[in-house]
Amino acid sequence: MSDFLVLRVIAKLLIPFILLFGFYVQMHGDYGPGGGFQAGVIIAAAFILYAIVFDVNTARRMAPMAVLVSLACLGVLLYAGVGVANLLYGGRFLEYGAFAHDPAHGNHIGILIIEIGVGIAVAAVMMIIFFSFARRR
Amino acid sequence: MDKRAQEGLRVIELYLNIILLVFVAATGIAAVWLRNLLASAMVLGIYSLLMAALWVVLDAVDVAFTEAAVGAGVTTVLMLLAIALTGRHEKRRRARPWLPLATSLGTAGLLIYATLGMPIFGDANAPAQLHVAPYYLLQGEAETGVPNIVTSVLAAYRGFDTLGEVTVIFTAGMGVLVLLTGATRRRRNTAAPTEEDSA
Amino acid sequence: MILDILSWIAIAIGVFFVLVGGIGLIRMPDLFSRMHPAGILDSTGAGFLLLGFLLQADDWLVAVKLVLIFVFLLFTSPVATHALAHAALLDGLKPWTKERKKDSES
Repeated sequence: MSDFLVLRVIAKLLIPFILLFGFYVQMHGDYGPGGGFQAGVIIAAAFILYAIVFDVNTARRMAPMAVLVSLACLGVLLYAGVGVANLLYGGRFLEYGAFAHDPAHGNHIGILIIEIGVGIAVAAVMMIIFFSFARRR
Repeated sequence: MDKRAQEGLRVIELYLNIILLVFVAATGIAAVWLRNLLASAMVLGIYSLLMAALWVVLDAVDVAFTEAAVGAGVTTVLMLLAIALTGRHEKRRRARPWLPLATSLGTAGLLIYATLGMPIFGDANAPAQLHVAPYYLLQGEAETGVPNIVTSVLAAYRGFDTLGEVTVIFTAGMGVLVLLTGATRRRRNTAAPTEEDSA
Repeated sequence: MILDILSWIAIAIGVFFVLVGGIGLIRMPDLFSRMHPAGILDSTGAGFLLLGFLLQADDWLVAVKLVLIFVFLLFTSPVATHALAHAALLDGLKPWTKERKKDSES
């Protein structure tokens, strides 16, 4: 029976919902308010909540710094990679219409992929900043 | 909606805007005035919440979402961490800030003078309302296949800007990592030889 | 029409509780007694306001979202006040009592 029982129980209840909401916001950026930036911040907030309520070292073991740095680079590479892929498909840099037969479809695919890239990069960078600050205690 | 309901809505919006702007100004001044940095960080969280409410009144829901998530959420936590690392009270300033005050007032005056040349806020005949906005509103869904105009402008029409934004966020994260990890390693390297000497 | 009147009454009660909570936050002597008005604000104030909005909702999806917001508020706001009071207690803050007021006044 620890000192922070109430906080721990509520955090365990809420963190799955926060993550779920983050994924919902990411995927529904096309049809409602949302998109990559908001989703990345919400997912990072879930991890930060875990690190605050439970041990920071446990949270750091769950999300090691090497993985976070790789994820941040992956996010930016995904975005720029879509641009390069457009060059390979015959269009200009970041002209998503070249992906499919119909420019509207190509644009939709391109927007989905780059929003995922933005979400991954923002979430990883927020967690990197938090863990860098929290390390020096 | 009939005429009287529209009139009533506009009056309510006016009062809401006035109240929110007064509180935004008050929290802004309070955040700078307070010497206790912890209280200042909390007041900045309140400022972000009020700004998010203002964006909602202006019908910019995406921006309000981002402002609430980033400003009133993650930024407050990061600032509290920074205060825990550095210190809770602001140091007393030695020099009188006359030159910075004059510079900022001069720049603010120039900017306000420049806005006098812009069209009136919400003018229906401004170039942005006549050419740019109707094009996005009418052609956006047909050209990009995405109903949310904000996402289509952000990701498709202005994709280069968003690439720049992601790169800036990435650079900020890398900068923090290099600054804070490098210092810890240097401290550990300079501390280790003395421990070996005493052992 | 009935729904309109009911929602007005609910919103008015919610506004009253928010006002009471706000006045209490300013007038209470120390942190622990200030937690009570803060709790009133979050639970009854927000609850009645959300009930008033619920009666005005035209789409069932909006109604479900409002109910979910109320459920999440019910989970998080008592924990927030608990965490604040717990942190103050761990830091060594002593509750306000009548005798200390007499000491500080004399």
